[in-house]
Amino acid sequence: MDGKRPRGPWAKTLMALAIAIPLYIWSWEATQIDLGKLVQDAYKAGPIVGQLLRPSLLARGVQRDRLQVTLKVPCAPGETYEPQGDLDRLQLSAHCLNPRDPLQVTGINLRPNTQGRLYWIITGVEGRLRDERFTTDENGAFTVETDVPPLLGENPGEHRLQAELRWEAGSLNPSPALRTTAEKLIETVFLALMATTLANFFAIPLSFLGARNIMPSTGWGHTVYLATRTFFNLTRSIEPLILATIFAIWVGFGPFAGVLALTVSTVANLGKLYSEAAESIDPGPIEAITATGANRIQVIWFAVIPQIVPPYIAFAVYQWDINVRMSTIIGFVGGGGIGMELSRWINQLQWNAAATAVWGIVLVVTVMDYASALIRERLV
Amino acid sequence: MLQIQDLVKVYEDGTQALKGISFTVEDGEFVAIIGLSGSGKSTLLRCINRLIEPTSGRVIWDGVDITAADPRELRRIRRQIGMIFQQFNLVKRLPVLTNVLTGRLGYVSTWRSITGRWSRADVERAFANLELVGIREKAHNRADELSGGQQQRVGIARALMQEPRLLLADEPVASLDPATSHSVMKYVEQLNREMGVTVLCSLHFLSLARTYASRILALKDGLLVFDGSPQEIDDRRFKEIYGEEAVEVEIR
Amino acid sequence: MVHETPSAPSLRRHPALAALLGLLIPGLGHLYLGRRERGAAILTTALALTGLALWLELTALAPWGLPFWLWQAWEARRYAQGRDPGTLRLLLTAAILVYAIGWQVTEIDLQRFVANAPKIRPFVVSLLRPNYLEREITYASVRIQFTMPCGPEAPGPPPTSSGPGPVLGLDRACADPGDPITVYGEGFPPNLEGELWFENTIGDRARLHHQGELVDFVAGPDGRFQATVTAPEVATEQPQPQFIEARYVTEVGPLQPSETARLVVYRMGETIAQALMATTWGALFAVLISFFAARNLMRVHPLTFALYYVVRTLLNILRAIEPLIMAIVFVVWVGLGPFAGVLALTMHSIAALGKLYSEAIENIEPGPIEAITATGANRIQVIWFGVLPQVWPPFVAFTVYRWDINVRMSTIIGFVGGGGIGFLLQQWIRLTDFRSASAAIWAIALVVTVLDFFSSEVRKRIV
Ligand SMILES: Nc1ncnc2c1ncn2[C@@H]1O[C@H](COP(=O)(O)OP(=O)(O)OP(=O)(O)O)[C@@H](O)[C@H]1O
Ligand SMILES: [Mg+2]
Repeated sequence: MDGKRPRGPWAKTLMALAIAIPLYIWSWEATQIDLGKLVQDAYKAGPIVGQLLRPSLLARGVQRDRLQVTLKVPCAPGETYEPQGDLDRLQLSAHCLNPRDPLQVTGINLRPNTQGRLYWIITGVEGRLRDERFTTDENGAFTVETDVPPLLGENPGEHRLQAELRWEAGSLNPSPALRTTAEKLIETVFLALMATTLANFFAIPLSFLGARNIMPSTGWGHTVYLATRTFFNLTRSIEPLILATIFAIWVGFGPFAGVLALTVSTVANLGKLYSEAAESIDPGPIEAITATGANRIQVIWFAVIPQIVPPYIAFAVYQWDINVRMSTIIGFVGGGGIGMELSRWINQLQWNAAATAVWGIVLVVTVMDYASALIRERLV
Repeated sequence: MLQIQDLVKVYEDGTQALKGISFTVEDGEFVAIIGLSGSGKSTLLRCINRLIEPTSGRVIWDGVDITAADPRELRRIRRQIGMIFQQFNLVKRLPVLTNVLTGRLGYVSTWRSITGRWSRADVERAFANLELVGIREKAHNRADELSGGQQQRVGIARALMQEPRLLLADEPVASLDPATSHSVMKYVEQLNREMGVTVLCSLHFLSLARTYASRILALKDGLLVFDGSPQEIDDRRFKEIYGEEAVEVEIR
Repeated sequence: MVHETPSAPSLRRHPALAALLGLLIPGLGHLYLGRRERGAAILTTALALTGLALWLELTALAPWGLPFWLWQAWEARRYAQGRDPGTLRLLLTAAILVYAIGWQVTEIDLQRFVANAPKIRPFVVSLLRPNYLEREITYASVRIQFTMPCGPEAPGPPPTSSGPGPVLGLDRACADPGDPITVYGEGFPPNLEGELWFENTIGDRARLHHQGELVDFVAGPDGRFQATVTAPEVATEQPQPQFIEARYVTEVGPLQPSETARLVVYRMGETIAQALMATTWGALFAVLISFFAARNLMRVHPLTFALYYVVRTLLNILRAIEPLIMAIVFVVWVGLGPFAGVLALTMHSIAALGKLYSEAIENIEPGPIEAITATGANRIQVIWFGVLPQVWPPFVAFTVYRWDINVRMSTIIGFVGGGGIGFLLQQWIRLTDFRSASAAIWAIALVVTVLDFFSSEVRKRIV
């Protein structure tokens, strides 16, 4: 260095800082970053993380014991009523009652130390109305105090009270969450496969339209080239999840909407990658094959195709990998695949089941990632 | 007989690569085209089979005006004109045999060629041509597994498949070392001597041109500055073509 | 293409038997011919696909497996004859079954796709008409009072409103819900168009209907109109004063940015800020972590090498989980809003950048380091002049690229409550407010495209 310090870098650094510092302050504000809350509310995350580490994999079958007795609501004064059902094991303090009347329910000779629940089966109303939970003692008995739900009064007549005991029994089997996860993961992989394949039917022809060296250099050819590239870029900027929301309106919720959304975004992604690959082929062979007197189709078949097949396959495999990732979340907006179940489990706070799905996703994505890298390595 | 009449090529960006060139080549001649880099050698050769469209002027071969041919006719003409390239221009991922067979594309139907149903005669001829250039045993290798000299020999075999009457060679040995250069040039010479193929070959080095050519054309800035026998190029001529500072080097 | 036929080792086997065995059990023909690998691969494929179809209860797809079954048997026969049938057709026949299963599993239904196309028409039309601009419109109205429902006493004479200006009249003084009421108007500006509204006692307003259609009025050249409306439901059983109102546009203001535009700009800013924050935090942590995930640095000691594997595995697991999934967890943790999105994107950025950074470190060339060490430089000088110049360009390139990806991601992180424009967009689509959705989509397209261009320029300059 000779004496004079160059001024440029300092001015530039100052300028950059003048832009960066306000930008960061504003960003901090805009994104409502609150580290205090992050730490304070860590207790909320604790149980979740704990359960996420314990995915539900195996479960025993569920056994049930159901008892029921009939009762009459409302009850006219002085009315007598002859109840029916499992009166020997399920005993009520009264069988003819009015809404909101207190009621004592006693069970005997049941399975000891077992959890159960009372349900009302109301004539004229579909389904069961949940009531108190109970646990039997070591003699297989329980007593519960409850009262008659008002809903029974609105449908006068004979109703039933049901006590249901549930316990796990039998051998360990894959849990329902595991089964669903496996099924949905298969759906996810297929979703990505179908989308990638369908997209290729469009992306390959379009990629020729989007390759400068393949399109004729006339004004018309250039217009098509520009239009194709613009279409690729605009479509690429819209996340598949947004597209899926739209396709869910079109064809309804389910994997088909996901396939369509991923297909559209894949056409754009692959179209761009493909046309760039097509643009970077070696023009030498094209020249040589043309010089032998070959026609256009022969030139494409012998000089263009052999050059583009390996990169095209590599990109397609890579895109399949990306699509598998995407289809793990496309279900959040009704696009099918594991995402639908995952978001349902999370919304119902079934964290163990959610954990099963998350670990399944990790497994599949990692395997796909590895496999696609392996295939691409072989192709080059 | 190949007649070049007042050939002009102006590229889209305005570069005047050929500024009006005329000459005539008799059948069976071995013509070397020399000149500095950028003097228009490649442009001239590519204008002959219209890989590059000339801006004006005519190329007449055995009385047929190539410059006026429609696409179908042009392909018929092209298939009789072999061409070899500095970068060999093989389809690297295809086997050597297929590369050689592509020399027949102008003669076989599109359907047969893309389904790979080459006639027995063509396949035999391909093996024979590979034999001729000495690499028959490489027939099933992928083209990019071969060395540069071997690749150029595949290029020659490909051109031979066309049964050409005219061979255009654009600096066929510029990417090869001197020893390999000579071996490749020997094959070109053999074609010329034994099969009577007319050869138009651009070369960087005058020494190579002197060794193989029966006639030399020199280009400078898109103009023909010399047309004569190798012996006629003396020191003065040499400086005219290559500039004052140039010295002639020998390729052995 | 003609290949010289390789002398087949299996010539003494019977082609017909090979085919038969293949028909019996896929792959058996190949195994019999001693082509173990291919036979095993065929058998595994057949078992896997059959198992899959059985499990998913897609047994109806069996015919689609036929080509594969038949071809592999035929192939065994060809092998036995000493010919090479190639692999392409085997793969294609297997693909037929795979895609048949895929078609079923993903419920592809082209008929629905075509039949439901009209449903999406409003969206496509709106896509060309994003509502960034709107006009402020001033309304005027004329009201007339009447009674609903009719009481026991006899109704008075049909009412008219009092001037000045346009006046309304009704054909009756009281009405019960569902009665037709004829509304007269006069003194309106000629050819004026407007709407008829109902306002009940407590001030709730609604458009008036008649025979299932909204009622508009059009004044004639003389400023008069007549329209029939249906008396709406009212909550009271006592006669109460109610109003009918004629509402019309008096002034259309100039075009100005709409509420949608304001929201889009605001949320887009939030989106970009989210991406910036996540990238910055992600990059900072990733730089620290990348050193522990670089094989060449960690190989010095078995203990550090073990740490290397732990870090790498964690990064891989984290990377496999889409930020959207993490966002759900963070929403539970820190509540709805952009902060949750920032955290989710940060986690994912750490994983993605950590991997890329550590690979950049692994790719350092030892040459320059050796050369600088050879000049007698100390350790810091070696790092400053030998290591940093090698790692910062890829680091910056990856980071800029990550920012680009993070902007894309944060356009959707709002779908699960993570802030940014995604929340609005999803709402608008759900509410079929397609013109606003279109405004958001075009804004996203613009921002993402610009950033895409910007990031690729930066990367080009650096590399
Ligand atoms: N496609 C093109 N577009 C524009 N100008 C071109 C093009 N191809 C060649 N030129 C120009 O035309 C002139 C002649 O080029 P040409 O390739 O024919 O020279 P050359 O004699 O073959 O040179 P070299 O020995 O380097 O191969 C040069 O100035 C070159 O820059
Ligand atoms: Mg040249």
